[in-house]
Amino acid sequence: MDIGEKDKYELEKRNENHINYQAPGMSPDWQFGGANLTSTPMSLVSSDNPMAIGSSCASASVVDSFGTSLWEHTSNSQNLGFCDINAQNGASSSNGMGIGKGGNSLRSTIDRPFDMSWNAASSMLRGGIFLPNATGILPQSLSQLPADSAFIDRAARFSSFNGGNFSDMVNPFGIPESMGLYTRGVGLMQGPQDIFAISGMKSVSVVESEKSKLNSTEASKDASLQVENRATQESPLKNEKKSESLVPSNEEAKQGNGGSGNESDEAEFSGGIGGQDEPSALDDLSLEPSAKGLSSKKRKRSVQDAEVDQVKGGEPPVEAAKDNAENQKKGDQNQTTTINKTTGKQGKQGSQASDPPKEEYIHVRARRGQATNSHSLAERVRREKISERMKFLQDLVPGCSKVTGKAVMLDEIINYVQSLQRQVEFLSMKLATVNPRLDFNIEGLLAKDIIQSRAGPSSLGFSPDMSVGYPSLHPSQPGLVQAALPVMGNTSDVIRRTLSSQFTPMTGGYKEPNQLSNAWEDDLHNVVQMNYGAGAPSDSQDVNGITPFFMS
Amino acid sequence: MRSPGSLKQEFLKKWIMGFQRCSSSKKSMSVLDRKKAIKLSADIAMASARKGTTCWSRALIASASKDGSDKHLVEQILGPESERLILMKKFSTGALVCSKRIRSKKILKRSCGIRRTRKCAPQAALASSIAKRLVRKRTQVLKSLIPGGEFMNEVSLIEETLDYIISLRAQVDVMRSLAIASELVNHN
Repeated sequence: MDIGEKDKYELEKRNENHINYQAPGMSPDWQFGGANLTSTPMSLVSSDNPMAIGSSCASASVVDSFGTSLWEHTSNSQNLGFCDINAQNGASSSNGMGIGKGGNSLRSTIDRPFDMSWNAASSMLRGGIFLPNATGILPQSLSQLPADSAFIDRAARFSSFNGGNFSDMVNPFGIPESMGLYTRGVGLMQGPQDIFAISGMKSVSVVESEKSKLNSTEASKDASLQVENRATQESPLKNEKKSESLVPSNEEAKQGNGGSGNESDEAEFSGGIGGQDEPSALDDLSLEPSAKGLSSKKRKRSVQDAEVDQVKGGEPPVEAAKDNAENQKKGDQNQTTTINKTTGKQGKQGSQASDPPKEEYIHVRARRGQATNSHSLAERVRREKISERMKFLQDLVPGCSKVTGKAVMLDEIINYVQSLQRQVEFLSMKLATVNPRLDFNIEGLLAKDIIQSRAGPSSLGFSPDMSVGYPSLHPSQPGLVQAALPVMGNTSDVIRRTLSSQFTPMTGGYKEPNQLSNAWEDDLHNVVQMNYGAGAPSDSQDVNGITPFFMS
Repeated sequence: MRSPGSLKQEFLKKWIMGFQRCSSSKKSMSVLDRKKAIKLSADIAMASARKGTTCWSRALIASASKDGSDKHLVEQILGPESERLILMKKFSTGALVCSKRIRSKKILKRSCGIRRTRKCAPQAALASSIAKRLVRKRTQVLKSLIPGGEFMNEVSLIEETLDYIISLRAQVDVMRSLAIASELVNHN
């Protein structure tokens, strides 16, 4: 065991270990992948927690020996050990101490919030809190981390903040998903009131953190944002919290402007929503250039979405994240899909079943005057239009009422159009074979028993309309029309009637969905089925079928 | 708003006009020729019933009027609206240019989308990218089905599809009724 050697690193490393370990929860999950741990920490190891595994990926090596030593030094109860570590971590992070500091002095101040966080938050949260501290503190441990120097730099920068900007620090690093936990932990740092809300959100997002670090950070940001918004609707408090979740690239700007810049950023977000915060566009704009990188923009969008969702009325963060993801699909494919998953919903359905979630986005979010923002706005409007039209098509095309999703709907529509076109072809061929001279003796049709046998009130009702409507017709044509309509009425009376009743609202468009849906729903399917029933056998007959008929 | 009955009536009337035109011009036609004439007049009648309000109808008439032989048929059916033919031709040519632009844009978008999907996590992006690819493929198929569909964007494509389906249905109904009536007449 390296306990003796590690005493010095204990404080700092504990943080890291805690971060990694805490993900699984209070249970002793210290050792995930570490092989250095001795038998004692084995009890602590919990391989079940996915979070732990994910989080431990980056700092597994760091966790190894630390865990063992840490546990041995700390009290038996994990809580105590956590408390110490938390205190240390919190101290280091909040104090803005440089790397390598233990921050013991702040322990007392941090103990309480951490205790509260422990009680309320899940293990992941705790892990998240400690991770940033640990990483920033320990150069040695950092060496084990993937992004050493960069991480150290940012940790140093972060230390200057209130410890709330870990998310920003973490995100740009490209550190594995475990860092996502940090962002969540950052949220916890904010205050006890947020912890409860954040924990709820983070538990959801934590599951997804494994998918991708970026997603996790974003999700956590969303979660933290939403939590923050919920917890405190006041602008000052909001600004504080929002500053955390601001784009990571804002770090440099944040150092100087830090809080103000973040505040303005957040204010802008909320301003777009409903002006909850003071919309300080200038600050946002200033921050915008600093927030370079697509990832930052993506995060902002997710943040905005989260805020908007809150504005909507406190929609569940999961759903909001998912909706936001869908809205931003065009810009951020990865994000949206991951966010969708983050919310626990099926990613596939999220992209396909665009109709139901779209309905929630009636309002148009105010975005910054950027090409991407306006583009996404127009994109969303366009998608809504398409979904609207698809609904009409659903009523029109038989068998589509239960189908949701663009791809399947389009498939049905394609099949239907193809079948209709084939029917036209078949019927034209049939007519061609029936009439050798293309004369279509309407008078003959009239004269024959067709009208006599089938003449009915409905058909008669048609005839006068027809003759009146077409005075310019050739003399034979009115007869044809009159004959044809009765024939039509007789042979496909039901079909025609229902179709006519349906067509009236239909031709007007799909602009009257209510009428359409009501009218079509009941009759259309029956009618179409009839049509299909009549057409299908005839279609299947094929040309060969026609000739024997003709011959007979 | 047109009533379905009026739509069918209009279609039938124009269809018969086309029949007469065809039958008067040629003495003897093979089955296939007759079928083509029937279908052509039906299509043109259907398209003219819309009187150039829809894109597919214009494209249909434009494509039909390209051939010299069918041009007269179109003119007869459309009647004094032959000037529209010229407009439609221009429309179709303009649409060709637009389609090229649209296609190039699509290629660009597709390439960008592919790049994006590779970056993100495979699981997450795979589902949505597959769905999007499916939708895109099927949109392409639909565009090939609807006359003049390649020149439309997605929104108008769905509108045109709606109108086209309605017209097709009316056409099928009229034709079926006529076919049944003719069969009955022949039988009797």
